[in-house]
Amino acid sequence: MQLITASNLGYSINENRLFHNLTFSLETGCGLHIKGGNGSGKSTLIRILLGLTSPSKGEVVFFKPNLNISYLGHKNAIKQYLTPLQNLELIFAPSELDDAMTWMQTFGLTKVQDEMTATLSFGQQKKLALIRVLGKSSDLIVLDEPFVGLDDLSRDLVSQFLCSRLADGTSLVLTSHIDPGIPCVELILSEQSND
Amino acid sequence: MINLLTHEAFKLRHRLRAWLGPLLIMVLVLIAFPLSIDVSQYDLNKFYFSIIVVSLLVISFLATESIFSEDYEDGSLEQIYLEEKDFYKVVLTKISIYIFFIGIPMSLIGSLFSFANGVAADETPKIFVILTFSTLILFNIFSFGSALSINKGAMLGVLVSLPLALPVIVLLGRAIRTVQYGEGFIEVLSLLAGVGLILAAVMPIIISATLKTHLE
Repeated sequence: MQLITASNLGYSINENRLFHNLTFSLETGCGLHIKGGNGSGKSTLIRILLGLTSPSKGEVVFFKPNLNISYLGHKNAIKQYLTPLQNLELIFAPSELDDAMTWMQTFGLTKVQDEMTATLSFGQQKKLALIRVLGKSSDLIVLDEPFVGLDDLSRDLVSQFLCSRLADGTSLVLTSHIDPGIPCVELILSEQSND
Repeated sequence: MINLLTHEAFKLRHRLRAWLGPLLIMVLVLIAFPLSIDVSQYDLNKFYFSIIVVSLLVISFLATESIFSEDYEDGSLEQIYLEEKDFYKVVLTKISIYIFFIGIPMSLIGSLFSFANGVAADETPKIFVILTFSTLILFNIFSFGSALSINKGAMLGVLVSLPLALPVIVLLGRAIRTVQYGEGFIEVLSLLAGVGLILAAVMPIIISATLKTHLE
């Protein structure tokens, strides 16, 4: 069953054309790995899919109304002045908190759960931010460079989780320079797309 | 809506500098002013209001300066935008919490200090009500300025919102004169309340549209 269709998508900033005539679709339970060099428009494409940015050309059609989307972009969307536990309390409803706490334990963040988030390392903050996506059930997971800053063990855990969610019927869109090890259709934004 | 209120209150409560800072600056200004002049030469209860009015203007601007920028910079605003269908509600909630945590205490501080500087006790509640409605107006105006200049520095916000705030200061001064001279208080208060409630209803719509543009 089709979840998203993008037709003839194009995006330009001033005279700089990032990509044009991109047409693709995403089905339920399938993954899309957007690849490309720096500045090729991967994050912009993700923002267009989320409806955060309007494309210069083309359209994105969602086939399921009120699609439940979990997203993590470049910014971690966590509060530095709160503890990891308080951050989770802010993000999750009380009924969802148990799953989030399990992820805290899995990522080894329990020992720092009462420390100020600002004092955590980059990798620990990234893990905390990822719990926003991992601890919630959704129809579509959208991740922009999710593996940056993660150690090998955490990267494997996230990959395994995403594979299991794909098998459960959740769709996935991600950008990553690191091979995610997840069965995904690849969409390559290259220099050629600027021509 | 209750959920949003709880979350915003939780966040602001933990940002001590964001809510306690403006209140402390206001207290400092109101204490420092009588100390800096020869109080025996002046009828302090007459013109002490001017200091309250000016500090209300400045502190309202300071208090709302980071009302949206903090969430914008750490990516939370993006997440809220994706989760909340009615972005208007988020803005309305944020401004309401700021008024509750900073605006109302500011009005209370202003009215207490005016009482301490010679205003009659039965007129102090009137001062409090006037200051509260003024805060409602000023917080909405300055929140708009803050939203407009969210990624462009505070100067644009000042340039846009200050001309809108100046008529409020004129109206506030007039309202205070009605308290001093005991005439036309209800009329001016009604005007302040009317403007305040209209702005409280309209501004969140304008601000949410402004923030959406910035998120793009």
